[in-house]
Amino acid sequence: MNSNPSIIGTSPKRVDAREKVTGSARYGQDLRMDGMLFARVKHAEYPHARIRSIKTARAKRLKGVAAVVTAADIPGNPAFGAIIIDNQPIAGDKVRYLGDAVAVVAAETEAIAERAVDLIEVKYEELPGVFDPREALKPDAPRIHEKGNLIVHHKTRKGDVGVGFGEADRIIERSYSTQRVEHAYIETEVVVAYLDPDGTLVIKGSHQNLFNIRSAVAGVLGLPLSKVRIIQASLGGSFGGKDDCMAVLGCRAGLLSLKTARPIMLSNSREDSLVESYKRHPYFLDYKVGVKDDGTITAMEINIVADGGAYASMTQFVTWRSVVHATGPYRVPHVKTDIYGAYTNNTYTGAFRGFGSPQITFAYESLMDEIAGELGMDPLQFRLKNVLRDNDVTATGQKLDHTVSVGEALEVTTRAAGWDEKRKKFPEENAGRIMKRGIGLACSYRGVALGAEGVDATGAIVRIHSDGSVDLTTGLSEMGQGLKTIFSQIVAAELGLPIEKIQYRETDTSTITDGGPTVASRSTIIGGSAVRKAAIAAREKLGAAAAEKLGAPPAKIIASDEKIMVKGDPVRAVSFREAATMALDAGMNLSSFAWHVSPPIWWNEEEGRGDAYFTYVYGCQIAEVEVDPETGRVNVLEVWAAHDVGKAINPETVRGQICGGVATAIGYGLLEEVEMVDGVTKTMNLDEYLIPTAMDVGKIHAIILENEDKYGPYGAKCVAEPTAELCAAAIANAVCHATGKRIRDLPLNLERIVLGHKLVKKKRRVR
Amino acid sequence: MKKITLKITINGRKHTLRIDPNLRLLDLLRDELRLTGTKEGCGIGECGACTVILDGRAVNACLILAGQCNGREVVTIEGLTGKDDLHPLQQAFIDHGAVQCGFCTPGMIMSAAALLDQNPTPTEEDIREAISGNLCRCTGYTQIVEAIQAVADDN
Amino acid sequence: MIPFNLVRAESLEEALDLLDRQPPDVKIIAGGTDLLVELRSLSPREKGPGIVLDITPIDELKGIEDNGSTITIGPLTTHREIAASPIIREHAPLLSTACSTIGATQHRNIATIGGNVINGSPAADSVPALIVLDAEAVFKSKNGERVSPLKEIFVKPYRTDIKEDEILTALRFERLPEGARSSFIKLGRRNALAISRMNIAVIIVLEGNTIVEARISPGSATPLPDRIKAAEKILIGNEPSEELFRRAGKEVSGEMINRSGIRWSTPYKQPVIAALTTRALREAVEKR
Repeated sequence: MNSNPSIIGTSPKRVDAREKVTGSARYGQDLRMDGMLFARVKHAEYPHARIRSIKTARAKRLKGVAAVVTAADIPGNPAFGAIIIDNQPIAGDKVRYLGDAVAVVAAETEAIAERAVDLIEVKYEELPGVFDPREALKPDAPRIHEKGNLIVHHKTRKGDVGVGFGEADRIIERSYSTQRVEHAYIETEVVVAYLDPDGTLVIKGSHQNLFNIRSAVAGVLGLPLSKVRIIQASLGGSFGGKDDCMAVLGCRAGLLSLKTARPIMLSNSREDSLVESYKRHPYFLDYKVGVKDDGTITAMEINIVADGGAYASMTQFVTWRSVVHATGPYRVPHVKTDIYGAYTNNTYTGAFRGFGSPQITFAYESLMDEIAGELGMDPLQFRLKNVLRDNDVTATGQKLDHTVSVGEALEVTTRAAGWDEKRKKFPEENAGRIMKRGIGLACSYRGVALGAEGVDATGAIVRIHSDGSVDLTTGLSEMGQGLKTIFSQIVAAELGLPIEKIQYRETDTSTITDGGPTVASRSTIIGGSAVRKAAIAAREKLGAAAAEKLGAPPAKIIASDEKIMVKGDPVRAVSFREAATMALDAGMNLSSFAWHVSPPIWWNEEEGRGDAYFTYVYGCQIAEVEVDPETGRVNVLEVWAAHDVGKAINPETVRGQICGGVATAIGYGLLEEVEMVDGVTKTMNLDEYLIPTAMDVGKIHAIILENEDKYGPYGAKCVAEPTAELCAAAIANAVCHATGKRIRDLPLNLERIVLGHKLVKKKRRVR
Repeated sequence: MKKITLKITINGRKHTLRIDPNLRLLDLLRDELRLTGTKEGCGIGECGACTVILDGRAVNACLILAGQCNGREVVTIEGLTGKDDLHPLQQAFIDHGAVQCGFCTPGMIMSAAALLDQNPTPTEEDIREAISGNLCRCTGYTQIVEAIQAVADDN
Repeated sequence: MIPFNLVRAESLEEALDLLDRQPPDVKIIAGGTDLLVELRSLSPREKGPGIVLDITPIDELKGIEDNGSTITIGPLTTHREIAASPIIREHAPLLSTACSTIGATQHRNIATIGGNVINGSPAADSVPALIVLDAEAVFKSKNGERVSPLKEIFVKPYRTDIKEDEILTALRFERLPEGARSSFIKLGRRNALAISRMNIAVIIVLEGNTIVEARISPGSATPLPDRIKAAEKILIGNEPSEELFRRAGKEVSGEMINRSGIRWSTPYKQPVIAALTTRALREAVEKR
């Protein structure tokens, strides 16, 4: 039995748009419950210190305070973590950054809770801190965790770089750095914890990855997984950012709810969020490249140090993605890459849209322009000479067996942007004007989904009701990217229904098996495949029921236009609803649960090689900028962004992802930095943490490329993250084209453009 | 702290309320009246998620004391339309894919509504300026600007 | 938010009465865009104002008047109103520009020029424009009226000499003379919703092709807002030229260092304020 998936490749309206435009969507901060208490956190007062004593008696005595908890009240594990169990929702013996909690208060109002926090007295023994990951890796550095400061070391090895550098005509060495940045979702983190009458602890809130949070809460609070239920409220943006920090909030609020038997709301102010929630890793990157005079790359040796901050979080995975992709989408016969993640007493770092790629892309794409410059080649031609093509072998030794479209992306984008003409014209025109124009590009490849990070599988439930309406449940979460709409579209396509007939149920860990996190741009390809399987399975049952009545073999039956009909004979049909009723009356099960596991891949960590991902996406972005060299202001006038998504199930949503990713990368390139001085966050709200406004994002041209992939539903791959990894590099290259100045550190703020380096505030003299 | 009396019109309805003097307009709307479509994202007037229309002009409800709104008229996202129909801007935001996470959306629509009330035929630059106090981290603003432009083009 | 009482003054007299009775405990709120940020930042153990005095109902503190030579702006006039005012656009266009660059729409709709002045931020955008307009500030208290050149009210960053029992009741300045040209340039990190990294206001008056009068005031450059007379002198009596404007720009940056000393930000600010000054002068000449 087949369907008529004509809805695939169209852009029906988002299924969750109406509630969002009317203001009726319920976000975490909108939740209220009878008897609800409000929680506030007593944060650490030193970035690195041993806790000597905590006195909570005065806080407890304050009228309106219901409970004050410390680490001593935690019934389960003191910490949680993805691989390394080190993140302590409430610090016990030691604080490792200023976002650590030492106590949490629940009170009748937020104001009372705030006052109570002020009454908690903590005595510390301050320890020397370490705030630079390169310092942290030195043998005599203060130890932040017992096992030392090295979180992880990954490597990639291919060929013999000694041989490769020997073959080169030139060797070019450059160092780059990237800054600490914040997700800056407009909604800050929030949870409401409460107990169901059966004793289940429910944590509802701004969750991205519900099952991760469930594991953490269950572990820390000593509860079985079945007694913890995580429900997602409407999520006001996440971009990778509402994972570990939500687990932290969940543990704190959950503990207070167990203690008081009342609902607890715990929400972070923007200041709390900037201090406490994890950021994107700052990287220090050293590149050494061998190249022949004809522009052939012969070898790359790369050394990277990442600032993991106080807890490991996703550092192992983030840096692994970096080590796989660090050469960029180029044919490099000899590769040696090492990446080290180190603990520091800074705010910890973790997942953020791009996940280890924006940093390396900035470095290798700046570098490609620098090499082209040294060789006197056009940056486009230099890249076209070296980019990966079909059946090429990557830096990790993986042979690419799909359409490798980075060359196509480069050609399409440069044509759309008028590359050749502008590269020639701008320098001539700039001679006579103050404002300098420039155009720059960046391209990348990106492994889709989790890759060899771990098991990549997820499930979906499709339930057809007797009236022909349909429920869809998955364990993956909507965070604005349009997952509910894409998944509903897939079900609608397979069942031959209009999308309005599909109801996407809220995401709740009690309704479906753990299907992993909503990360790595894996939802459409992994989740979409599961949804499609579930929809097909449900449809097959319906088809079997209808086949008899229609007098045709099930293979001849299709679902289309809200009917179950005989293919090529639309008169022989029953309505979808009729077929559903019929099947249910016959005692058939019209619910289906399907599970999808990604194709096999492998990684040899010892040898630093493997087939890291089962498929890749490719993209190219071009930025046209205007630079004011006198003040350092850079305006991004236009961006062309081409991304091979395999197949755009919903092109308008894809466009939204591209434009959003570009804007985030413009901020990364020009504006954004969470400044920390000796562990103290200096950037405390959105007046100092500057993300682009509507007037800072130029015209964005989204170009969708489609080379269907055998592993994706309808050929679809992914789009969310690759869109955010390119533009900072494209801008840096455009600025260099405009001014001749190469800036190797992000962000390209006013001071760096004018002076070539960052301005550092002098430390205050100690009196 | 002495409670004060506030007479205020919200979404066309007149209210007389006894309120705490340190209540912000945002707290009045969200906590007292449970009009939660108006969001809080920063508390210092930088994100615009709390944008409402006060006497015809877009303002950040986190930067005004409720007590300062005596005798004044406030429109929130909940009051933009009648019971069923969507405001043309709301419809356009849906039609143009201008909504992602949706957290900035109510404030964004209020800024756009205030703009179109003042200037029914804005240029793209006018639109970008009018919403420049409303931060969006999802969309890159492209489809939002298109949605507002589409409504303006119908004017 | 820390607790306080709110008093709404319906008239200037009422407000002055209250200030007279218990001045140290009162904080005046107008647009509130600065004050609410400040109040929100206070922790429960910090002392806030006992009373917040809302002066926004006072109509006599609002509006723009032009008597043919002097323009008077009520301190409660919003940045939007000033930016859009035909009077200001005609007779003090740089002030209109300055006010149009403040914050975003939502701020300009309620934030007032009086608040911008009294808050005393070195980055306040309206202040350099008012300084080159040689504006005066008028204060009232129960004891009478006090008029001061605007630039003299600034004591240190975020601090003016307004007395506890006073209210700023007017800002006034002469219309720009015939033949005057002016310019205001703001440099922020973003194109909207940005605090000035630096800004610059200039006025020059030409007779024929000779500069007969010049006024220059940079923002976020000197500890206190002021005109840079040394730079103005360079211009007076000369014909406009790129070279002349560069010299004036250099003088402004030199004077900035004289007054502020070498600070961590000097390597950046020194060349940039010079460039902004030169640019503003150029822009002024090229405009009407």
